[in-house]
Amino acid sequence: MKISKYPGTPLKEADIREKRVLTTFWRPKARYAWSAGVAITRFLEELKNGRLIGRKCSKCGRILVPPRMYCELCFKPTDEWVYVRDAGRVATYSISYLSADAKRLKEPIIVAVIDLDDTPPNVGILHKIGEVSKEDLPAWMRGEKFGVRVKAVWKPPEERVGSINDIKYWKPIEV
Amino acid sequence: MAVEKITEAGRARYWLGDMETDYIYTLGRAGEKFFRGLKEGKIVATRCRKCNLTYLPPRIYCEHCFSELDEWVELLDEGYIEAFTVLTVDADGNKLDPPEVIAFIAFDGVTGGLIHRIGEASPDEVYPGMMVKAVWKPPEERVGSINDIKYWKPAIE
Repeated sequence: MKISKYPGTPLKEADIREKRVLTTFWRPKARYAWSAGVAITRFLEELKNGRLIGRKCSKCGRILVPPRMYCELCFKPTDEWVYVRDAGRVATYSISYLSADAKRLKEPIIVAVIDLDDTPPNVGILHKIGEVSKEDLPAWMRGEKFGVRVKAVWKPPEERVGSINDIKYWKPIEV
Repeated sequence: MAVEKITEAGRARYWLGDMETDYIYTLGRAGEKFFRGLKEGKIVATRCRKCNLTYLPPRIYCEHCFSELDEWVELLDEGYIEAFTVLTVDADGNKLDPPEVIAFIAFDGVTGGLIHRIGEASPDEVYPGMMVKAVWKPPEERVGSINDIKYWKPAIE
């Protein structure tokens, strides 16, 4: 049977927005502080110093960046801190017309996973690519930029706070 | 091998976040009429003629015979304290100074009642059965909220 008339009082969003009906509004105080843990705390401290640090697992030999205190392949604690260079290659990337909080962007951002020179493949870190000229963008769009060499562009020391954004972006470099 | 630990909490980094969980809740048919009544300075209730019951806050259906209610009555803004409590902290746990008295206010011949503030009386002057009268905000400040009544004060000096 097809229902032609539903019970209840239909309301449109505009009825609420334009206050044609009374409403009650509540904003819970839902603040949280999420701990970065041992490994990421150190990683963020080092970003503030302008350096990248990883953890090495002596069993599989991998260097993990961002660092983790446990090796997820060997199921054992990682063993030592290792500084790594802020240069690598674009492992994979995506061109986004949406910002991190889903707002539309006129100029796209390039989000990439970067394989660092000092870490094995599949340990890439996620970041943004910058300083891509208008002329270069079509080649990025066509997907011709996998494997391109990139280097971190850091904020000046006084602006660094211990955040992944202390690196502004990674810029492609000529080989 | 000993696993590294952060022993001083202040040394751990963290992310701060705010969960945006706002909500807007409509009042329903009976609630809409009740709060619009408050805006006009009236306390309105629904009546079931069959069961001889008056509901406050108003309901759209009688809880005894399940019939739909469309008879509305206006109540006097005078009732009595059925029960009360003294609050020394607010809903967020902050200290309230002076303490606030919250009461369940009942009305003669009415099923239900209102939970509201008691004013112009200190906690030790309040007692169950005390007659109270609504103190309204001026009409231009009323928005259709339970706070259109500022508080209830002792009806008998």
